[in-house]
Amino acid sequence: MKNTITNQSIKIFVSRWVITLILFIPTLAFAQQQIKGKVSGQDGVPLSGVSVAVKGTTRGTTTDAEGNFKIEVATKAILSFSFIGYGTKDVPVTSGQSVVNVALNEDQQNLDEVVVVGYGTQLKKEITGAVQTVNYKELKDIPVSQITQKLQGQLAGVQINQTTGKPGQGMSVRIRGQVSVTAGSDPLYVIDGFPITGNIGAMNPDEIEDISILKDAASTSLYGSRAANGVVLITTKKGKAGTNVSFSTFTGLQEVPKRGRVEMMSAVEFAQFKKEYYEDAKQPVPVEFQNPSQYEGKNNDWYDALLRVAPLQSYNLSITSNREKARTSVVAGVFNQKGVVINNDYKRYSLRINSEFDVSDKVKMGFNLAPQYVFDNTPRTDGDRGTGILFNALHTWPVMPIRDANGELTLFNKFPASTGNIFAYANWVRAAGELINETTTTNLISNAYIQYRPIKGLVLKSTFNVEVLRSKFFFFNPSTATSAINVPVPTTAVSIRENTENLTWLNENLATYSKSFNNNHNFELLAGFTNQKFRQESTRTQADTYADDRLPTIQGAININRAGTFNGVQEWSLTSFLSRLTYNYKGKYLFTAAIRSDGSSRFGSDNRWGTFPSASVGWVISDEPFIQKFPEISFAKLRASFGVIGNNNIGNYTSYALINNTVNAVFGNTVSAGAVVTSLANKNLGWETTRQFDLGLDLGLFNNRVQFIYDFYTKNTTNLLYSVQVPQESGFGNFNDNIGEIKFWGHEFSLVTKNTVGKINWTTNFNISFNRNIVVALADGIDRVYGSFHITKVGYPFGQFYGHVAQGVYLNAEDLKNSPQVPGRSTVGSIKLTDQNGDGIITNGGDNDDRVIIGSPFPKFTYGITNNFRYGNFDLSIIGSGSYGNQLLVRHLYSTANLDGVFNMVKEVQYRFRSPENPGKGFYGTTVGGGNVTGIERDWMNSRFIADASFFTIKNITLGYTIGAVNKAFKSARLYTSIQNAFIFTQYWGGPNPETSANGAGNGDGGNLSQGVDLSNYPVPRTYTLGINLNF
Amino acid sequence: MKKILIISIILGFTQTSCKENFLTIVPETALSSATFFNKEADFQQAVNAAYVPLRSIVNDRAYLLGEMHSDNTYYYRNILFGATEQQEDIADFAVPTANGVTSNTHVLNNYRLDYQIIARANQILSQIDKVEFNADSKNNLKGQAMLLRAYAYLELVQYFGKVPLHLTPVTVRQDAALPLSTVDEVYAQIIKDATQASTFLLPKSKQEAGRVTSGSAKTLLANVYIVQKKWAEAEKVARDVVTSGEYGLMIGYENAFSTNTANKNNQESIFEVQFLEGSDGLNGSIIYNFLPRPMSPEELKPITGTSNPQPLTGEGNNAPTPDIIAAYETGDLRKDASIAVVTLSGSLRANKVFPYIKKFAKTHTLHGNTGNNWPIYRYSEVLLYLAEALTEQNKVSEAAPFLNQVRTRAGLKASKAVSQTEMRNAIYQERRVELAFENKRWFDLIRTGRAIDVITAYGNRIKANPVDYYYPEGAIPRSNAFTNISLLYGLPADEAALTPYF
Repeated sequence: MKNTITNQSIKIFVSRWVITLILFIPTLAFAQQQIKGKVSGQDGVPLSGVSVAVKGTTRGTTTDAEGNFKIEVATKAILSFSFIGYGTKDVPVTSGQSVVNVALNEDQQNLDEVVVVGYGTQLKKEITGAVQTVNYKELKDIPVSQITQKLQGQLAGVQINQTTGKPGQGMSVRIRGQVSVTAGSDPLYVIDGFPITGNIGAMNPDEIEDISILKDAASTSLYGSRAANGVVLITTKKGKAGTNVSFSTFTGLQEVPKRGRVEMMSAVEFAQFKKEYYEDAKQPVPVEFQNPSQYEGKNNDWYDALLRVAPLQSYNLSITSNREKARTSVVAGVFNQKGVVINNDYKRYSLRINSEFDVSDKVKMGFNLAPQYVFDNTPRTDGDRGTGILFNALHTWPVMPIRDANGELTLFNKFPASTGNIFAYANWVRAAGELINETTTTNLISNAYIQYRPIKGLVLKSTFNVEVLRSKFFFFNPSTATSAINVPVPTTAVSIRENTENLTWLNENLATYSKSFNNNHNFELLAGFTNQKFRQESTRTQADTYADDRLPTIQGAININRAGTFNGVQEWSLTSFLSRLTYNYKGKYLFTAAIRSDGSSRFGSDNRWGTFPSASVGWVISDEPFIQKFPEISFAKLRASFGVIGNNNIGNYTSYALINNTVNAVFGNTVSAGAVVTSLANKNLGWETTRQFDLGLDLGLFNNRVQFIYDFYTKNTTNLLYSVQVPQESGFGNFNDNIGEIKFWGHEFSLVTKNTVGKINWTTNFNISFNRNIVVALADGIDRVYGSFHITKVGYPFGQFYGHVAQGVYLNAEDLKNSPQVPGRSTVGSIKLTDQNGDGIITNGGDNDDRVIIGSPFPKFTYGITNNFRYGNFDLSIIGSGSYGNQLLVRHLYSTANLDGVFNMVKEVQYRFRSPENPGKGFYGTTVGGGNVTGIERDWMNSRFIADASFFTIKNITLGYTIGAVNKAFKSARLYTSIQNAFIFTQYWGGPNPETSANGAGNGDGGNLSQGVDLSNYPVPRTYTLGINLNF
Repeated sequence: MKKILIISIILGFTQTSCKENFLTIVPETALSSATFFNKEADFQQAVNAAYVPLRSIVNDRAYLLGEMHSDNTYYYRNILFGATEQQEDIADFAVPTANGVTSNTHVLNNYRLDYQIIARANQILSQIDKVEFNADSKNNLKGQAMLLRAYAYLELVQYFGKVPLHLTPVTVRQDAALPLSTVDEVYAQIIKDATQASTFLLPKSKQEAGRVTSGSAKTLLANVYIVQKKWAEAEKVARDVVTSGEYGLMIGYENAFSTNTANKNNQESIFEVQFLEGSDGLNGSIIYNFLPRPMSPEELKPITGTSNPQPLTGEGNNAPTPDIIAAYETGDLRKDASIAVVTLSGSLRANKVFPYIKKFAKTHTLHGNTGNNWPIYRYSEVLLYLAEALTEQNKVSEAAPFLNQVRTRAGLKASKAVSQTEMRNAIYQERRVELAFENKRWFDLIRTGRAIDVITAYGNRIKANPVDYYYPEGAIPRSNAFTNISLLYGLPADEAALTPYF
């Protein structure tokens, strides 16, 4: 029923849009002179879909399938022909001329393309590091809110996963398989030269002109102690020639496909299970379950009840202008997304104004201002059992009613204790709808610079950048709902308010001098120094016990929660010197050396400065005569680089010993303040050091119709910041130290091919990356560190799943007798685990038990493939991205395969072991014996929890149609429709999203040692959209 | 324009030149060790914090390791509920132990909590003499730190035997682990600390209520000497406490224990762990651990008297065994003061009436939030220590009055014991009922050499008749029950993983 409604509403929606669009297209108007003609490529093949514009007017058209066009022009005019993949050609029309035939040249494959690199730009041809660029224009119309979503599947060596479907959140970006124990693995995002400290997910993607990803040490070392995770350089839109106004909008509907959801028992199946449970235990069946068929037609799908079909809309208006000595670009955006979980609402209003002024021939000034407002109300969907309502909904008894007889949402469901209902369940639909969990963020990024060119070749530039962020979090849990299990409703109403203010400023002073001798020896020297400071202040107030839920003020609360009320300050500063020398001989032999020295407040007082050098060389082989004999090879370059970079995400005050002075005691009835030394000081604490080597080959074949890039890299990360566990006989749990070594290596391939040109234009962009790591050393005397369900062990890859190997169940008394058992717990029908240490029994815990490595959260390879087609005015693009060979830990099974019938269960539990005569499928064991028996299979991590999470997702399919100029209405327009997350091909059975990867609870490491856990996060919806772009 | 650029460059350089200031950022919302431990108030706070781990020890762990690990209490088996094997292993004498190491979490946590006390005391004792302030208050602070350290080591040595002996604070990672010290070395340190503390500390009448006193120090010394069978020394320190005039038995056994807000640190109290009801996190919840399950709010309310009783699920602990119930002599007023019964409608058992520990179940305001204190040493125990020390020196008639003081208060007649053996057994028996559920039973069984025999017989009774020990009909003890009856707990596996010494 639900499905039908969904489909219907989509149909209605689609038809409305089509009608609107048709009405919108005005009829053609009159003109003075008609020109006809044909556009073809150099090979004479007609080109369809070429845009033909009359320069200086808004008039234009496109060529038809045969390459023909017709256009009305004034007597003297210039026709401008342009087509993606081909150059632009301007043809003057003489008076009386009626036919213009044009041959367009293919783009001389972007070798003259200028690429943004750290602290400057470089010709693509002359780059010696591993710098990856994307054709951002092609990704423009992907209907998502985050830049990183658009980049999925586009970049070799960059794994981008959407770990949760929450709007505006949850993108995990890992460059070259980066992992760290505690120091964070996210790349550094630099917007217009300013390393931001806020959330890149909130940036309006329409503000972006260009993105470069710096992967190797040679290209990142100018970012020194922040470079080890890779750097993403984002350049925002600048004023371009003429005045261009464009408006783009899309609207769509999102839904969570049925396929891929966890298959849970229905009410009847659940009641049947409970009946059998008591029968097998030889206990009387509780009256509620004596007749399972009474629940026929009374199923309650709690998970589905939380979901809805939800709309999203985006509007962007952009103006760029270039007048004499001033260039301006304005982008205003509105993004509005309702989440597929009820009551989830995400809105973004953003504006960016970039201006540049030529004050004189020698002096230039520029100012960028980008204010933004983001509102986000998100139900507490994600989290482990008891905390995330999606997880809670999964395992709630389906016999518990969502709505009562009057159609009202129930408050709270609890069956009598005699039914084995241990946990009381609040109504999760209320939890989603009635809890307020909203964050409003206002931020402003601004850049100002002045540039002075005193003599030819020398540029002095001083920049001042400020980022201000205010975020306001408000949480209110009314008395009528809760997101936690086993909390009776009505509950204690709680409010939390948290205000955070961040201020970051950065001053950079750079000098660049470039000089060329005889056009053969080309030098560029960069030198500069920078200062950056960050300060965050936060205030949190928590209050509870409200007289009236309608007044969730602080003063309306009866109690202020002391432990939840506090303020905090986080601050860091960074002073740096940097320099780079670039030299090439005839653009053929290339050399670059760079160095940065960082002084950071985060480092211990005896280890304050770190220096990060790099060098790289390149050889454009295709410029050598012996290669030029092979005309098939249009371009070939070999690159090699080596450098040292750092990771300074070690926390702000980690090197200090801290006192906790709230460890209070009581004497009699008097509270007395108590103070405890909670950590040990380390004056030598420093950054993590990564030494990276990269070898690359860039190849263009057949007039660059085939372009190939290959990179091999190795990275050695040492001095990993780790809170080394120490025996607690010392009174401390951990000691912050730089220890250990991880070695990474990998291969990256990307291939762009123009399969067909001409009438049908088809290009394919394929990339694949293989990343590996191995732990070389941990702290002295420590060969392993345990995570939640994981082990990080010397000689093995980082953070592997660690547990028992399940072999099925003990089928009968003989099997039990002849097999190793868990002493005192194994019975006939209980889970049979493998005796790995050969001691004849199964034990769990300690270093010498029966656990082994049973899987890895790291893929063997990741890949992406994008196909773009163009035929006439139509364009089609299909973007796919995939991952192979990684596993996920299906966390919900510890509830949904809890054989004590405490929670609702996955359907498969119906086929459990019941007796030697009725052994089921051999996967789930007997229910007899209670937790002492069944606890083994849910509480002891074992291979049943591990699922293959390889996937290939068609991320996006877009079909577009471009219309040329329509009189004065607009220069050109494009209509398109797209499906985001169209199809997922996967064997993964643990939930709808094989890309998910939460961290386990963590062991003082923020969970980095415990990656790859599926906590039944917010599902990623499929989105159907219609959009239009208008250029005026 | 040029000027602006030059100015900004100069500004930049100026900032850089004072870079060490720019780069030194100390935490603003936390004190750091550089600025702490330099005045009396700092040490006062540090001493206060050294008491704090005791709350968690008695609320969450000690009753498992010291009482349920004996024939006094068992668990209320709930076959529908899992993840309870950690407690069950302790009660069933089935703690999995290999190479002297166990993964049991309660063992681990108690161990770590004891070392928290020790580390905090070490921090104080290593720094306090570097700071000048009033000698009397300095001695009082040092005495408290020493006695708390002695108490923690006394727990450790009785649970584990050989343990690492940390006496100075750890400052570098490499010093975090120490080799195991012998039992004798540990006891020598305990005696040294407690002896010194007994001179440094104030008597109860002069000390702030709830802190340890010179009387607490002497009682702890008596305890140690009794364990070590140094009877003359034990007699001396116990007699000091008795003759100090600081203590006396409360009238009525039930009045020996604090209520939720009143009767704390009364005249019988020598040392008790302090709790405070409320939202400051200083409360206890121990009696909730001691109740049978499943219990409905209606069944719970008469016991706790709270305004918001909530259902209790899972598996309850510290169920008084038929053995302890039978141990009370007829007419012993302590029986009804210590144990009551409750009927659980939701129980799977035919007999839905369960005994529970009433002694500490005082009414309070909110569910799960109690304020009554937990006794570590009471005066009645000192009387029994003194009686025992005298008896073992064959001064039986001299011992009798001290034993009888305790019996009289319990409504019993004077003991009929005459011979040394009779008197010894009478004292053992008296300790069992007088100090029932105060986590003394296991230590008494091991120090008197009776543990193996008593527990083996007790285990056989449970296995023969599980229903008597609160198993539902048809349920049987786990196959590993009573397979590891040993005098010491294994050292914690998680610590073993981090230290090279065990």
